[in-house]
Amino acid sequence: MAGAGILPDRQLAGPTAGSPPQARRKKRSRPTRVLPLLPAVVLLALFLLGPVVWSFYGSFTNAALTGAAANNTSFVGLDNYISLFGSSVFPTSLVLTIIFVFASAVVGQNLLGLGLAALMRNGNKVVRAIVGAAVVAAWVLPEIVAAFASYAFFSDTGTLNMILAGAHLPTINWLYDTPMVAVTLANIWRGTAFSMMVYSAALMNIPPEITEAATVDGAGGWQRMWNVTLPMIRRSISTNMMLITLQTLSVFTLIWVMTAGGPGTKSSTLPILAYQEAFQFSNLGYGTAIATILLVVGAVFSIIYIRALKPEVD
Amino acid sequence: MSAVSISRVSLSAPRRNGVGWLTNGLLLILAACFLLPMAWLVLASLNANATLAVALPDQWSLSNFSKVLTPEQTLLPLWNSVVLSGGTALITVLCAVLAAYPLSRYSLRIKKPFLYGILFGTGLPVTAMMVPVYSLFVTLNLLDSLGGTIFFMAATSLPMAIWMTKNFMDEVPIALEEAAWVDGASSMQTLRTIVVPLMRPGIAVVFIFVFIQAWGNFFVPFVLLLSPDKQPAAVSIFNFFGQYGAVAYGQLAAFSLLYSVPVVVLYVVVQKFLGGSFAMAGAVKG
Amino acid sequence: MRGSIVKRTILNRNPKRTGTKRNTIIRRTQFAALGLAALTLLATAGCGSSAGASDGKTIKVAYQKFGNYKPLEKLLNAAKSEVEKANPGTTVTLLPIEASENDYYTKLSLMNKSASTAPDIAYEDTFLIKSDAAAGYLLPLDDYVSKWADWKQFVPNAQDAGKGDDGKTYGVSMGTDTRALWYSKDLFKKAGLPVPWQPKTWDDILAAADTIKAKLPGVIPMNLYSGKAAGEGASMQGFEMLLYGTNDPLYDESSKKWVTGSQGFKDSLNFVKKIYSDGLAPTPQQALDAQIVNIATDTWLPKGKLAIDLDGSWLPSKWSEGGSSPWPTWQDTMATAKMPTQDGSDPGAVSLSGGWTLAVGSKTKSPDLAVKYLETALNQKNSLTYDIEGAQIAVRKDVMDAPEYKKSSSSFGILSDVVAVTKFRPANTDYPKVSNNIQVAMEGVMTGQKSVDEAAKAYDEAVTSAVGQDKTTGGQ
Repeated sequence: MAGAGILPDRQLAGPTAGSPPQARRKKRSRPTRVLPLLPAVVLLALFLLGPVVWSFYGSFTNAALTGAAANNTSFVGLDNYISLFGSSVFPTSLVLTIIFVFASAVVGQNLLGLGLAALMRNGNKVVRAIVGAAVVAAWVLPEIVAAFASYAFFSDTGTLNMILAGAHLPTINWLYDTPMVAVTLANIWRGTAFSMMVYSAALMNIPPEITEAATVDGAGGWQRMWNVTLPMIRRSISTNMMLITLQTLSVFTLIWVMTAGGPGTKSSTLPILAYQEAFQFSNLGYGTAIATILLVVGAVFSIIYIRALKPEVD
Repeated sequence: MSAVSISRVSLSAPRRNGVGWLTNGLLLILAACFLLPMAWLVLASLNANATLAVALPDQWSLSNFSKVLTPEQTLLPLWNSVVLSGGTALITVLCAVLAAYPLSRYSLRIKKPFLYGILFGTGLPVTAMMVPVYSLFVTLNLLDSLGGTIFFMAATSLPMAIWMTKNFMDEVPIALEEAAWVDGASSMQTLRTIVVPLMRPGIAVVFIFVFIQAWGNFFVPFVLLLSPDKQPAAVSIFNFFGQYGAVAYGQLAAFSLLYSVPVVVLYVVVQKFLGGSFAMAGAVKG
Repeated sequence: MRGSIVKRTILNRNPKRTGTKRNTIIRRTQFAALGLAALTLLATAGCGSSAGASDGKTIKVAYQKFGNYKPLEKLLNAAKSEVEKANPGTTVTLLPIEASENDYYTKLSLMNKSASTAPDIAYEDTFLIKSDAAAGYLLPLDDYVSKWADWKQFVPNAQDAGKGDDGKTYGVSMGTDTRALWYSKDLFKKAGLPVPWQPKTWDDILAAADTIKAKLPGVIPMNLYSGKAAGEGASMQGFEMLLYGTNDPLYDESSKKWVTGSQGFKDSLNFVKKIYSDGLAPTPQQALDAQIVNIATDTWLPKGKLAIDLDGSWLPSKWSEGGSSPWPTWQDTMATAKMPTQDGSDPGAVSLSGGWTLAVGSKTKSPDLAVKYLETALNQKNSLTYDIEGAQIAVRKDVMDAPEYKKSSSSFGILSDVVAVTKFRPANTDYPKVSNNIQVAMEGVMTGQKSVDEAAKAYDEAVTSAVGQDKTTGGQ
């Protein structure tokens, strides 16, 4: 979730997008005006705010799936958090999550997406259509199907090793020896389309005169990119980074299918760890505490993201 | 309009033809990298003796499809997916249209905080927090309930849907409604008779956006729907992978393709008829 | 930009729209009504129906279905038709949970926690009975079994296996099992090893595995389940078969405490580490495949790719006609040997017994029907069929005495001999948590991520935090 691709689009569309009609209306009784908001508010309160509140509440209990604690759940204060930070598993998982988000989203998807968007401006029409379809297809596939395809691609007897062997290069047991590399590459493959589309739209909105002027001034390709293009799409870059960070933070299915967090805990990011602790090891409270930390991290990014978009709401 | 396929006047001067050739070559190599993992899905599904590596079938065959196309293996799960995603999209769109109306048409004191709240909600990783959601569902006695799962998925897609719907609604000039108000129509009447019909393509985009997101969601039904006869395709395909994934690669690929076709079709519909990929950006990630 | 879609529509449609306004209003109203109706339907249909127990006339039976294992489903189906026939108007619904063993436990717990999903009858591993009884998921059966004429047919051990911490009966045993070394006579002969084979110490096993590795490239010398993928199979068939042959216990029955920091624990981990790092076992990746429990027995052994397999007594059921991997001539190839203790000390051999039960969910609204189902499924006739087809060691005296059972169990050989030395897992609510941590420790050493000392230390910490400081005791 958390994909707000239309947002940068709106900012960049500038004056061409219709400005909202101002609310000039005859006066009506106020309470009835907000009534249509009610179904949405109820749904959001119950099923969006509900889990958030429940997450904080549950993280202070010893709730369990089996055993005596399942029958008599009691408050344990900060115990879950204390043992989280005291264990060796949680800090590892936190680091893995940061690596995963940084390498696959901030670096991988972001740069590859920008590169593709920039290259496509100079590509010919047919090539552009092919590349667009190929990149977007990986992103349109349901997540679990993308995960199977990645699993097959990176598995020991999969396509990648077949190609490496064909080129007389050493093969690697990707899913086992370098699980983080495999899931990171898979997430880049799956998610780059989003960044590519954001940047394509952003680049399209740069008036051609500006780049032309820079070319006339003798600026080379890289200089143009660095001095003219990038500053002009600055807002798209920050919005895109925020969105893909939030999306990547929640990735569960891709990793679950490819490695299930293993071997050992070598690819257990926070969503995987929360699932294992809560459901497989029956410690609901402990798993809830991990989910709560994930929530707080997401909330912080979300706030930064709102600040970036502030003018939009007004 | 499509961000990907729109044609633009090339900025490159004729002297840069060599660079253009290089660019096209590089782009095609990248496209091949993106296509390879997907090529396996297609080729393996048509191969009676599929392995994990991409290979042209020595014997082309549809046997994988006929093997998985049984009521309990594919058809019931796909139907469950339709109910789950359709219900989610329907509820989301209804609530979003209703909620967008006052946000678009009135200047309300709660408008700004509400919109901020909505934006904040789009960023929360709620679908990754299935542990507390599970506990909440146990407490609400909604576990294994299709309705409960639909409402949860609707709530998680609502923030985005309200935001999109409000933007679409802002495009409909208020002047059209004013005539009807003079005739004594209520705001709900004008919403139904004037605004909704005029923004139908926008509503279709939101509907498809939510539908695709729900269709591809694995984690939510995996935790919330436990009876085998209620599980959508995303979950039953995972069960299949767990049991036979190491042997029946071809069937796994065939099942995966059958399950992917609806979202690919819907995506193309949006591309071709409803205004291009940009309307969908961010929509498909589960 | 999306705005432009709407704008286009407005431009295209607006002139027409004003002309047919009345029509449109009617159509829209109908559309809205339809939408609302659909919504209501969905909401009621969705919320109303759930898998949970209901009216006294229906019961749901949750069980594991994984791969092609059939005897269980056959038993449950037979009992279903018998019960439905004997009690007109009742329905028994089977809920197959398609998952590997560990995932099955997870799903079952997820279902048990909520009244709306808790099954009326669950196929429940004996090691989970105490934990799930303490969680309040299971119905005490004492009042029912005391009136059940068949109950005295169950041997005391089997009756105890279904008891909770409070001494009440929560599950009825379907059969039990033992564990030993399976080995391929063919491969042993090819490698020049003696047949029949009976190792006296762990070192004897390692020596045989070394020989196979040297003489028969391409053959996996030994399989010992390890890591989270094999689940309880790794804890029990793998680790505990080692640990119970050392001088250190897993759990001190007299003080009722879990033993931490013992040398036996480290020695057992060291054995795991050695075979996985010396190439005497499957590759760690093979061992961490969720389907390893089926691959080893259904593919590797029949195809002569695996020489020694530390496994359960139920393997013949997989190789029987109608099993998951029919192998009519398995007795020509496969033989069994007792699992020795670490250094050959008394009693010279190790075996562990577990088994599964049928239990009744505490949230059932039809306890009488559920118990009827349970008693039908595990009557003499059905138990006999199941024990034979599932290669179970019978727990009912009248099954043990049946000629058909005697005939089929004659192939058990050593697997029934080790009943004399067999042990049970600790009778303690916390066992499932400890077992999870054993799997984590095994996975740590087999993958080379942790040294034996590190893994043992992490195990000690995790167990202490899981069961509480007061329930652990340092080893010798």
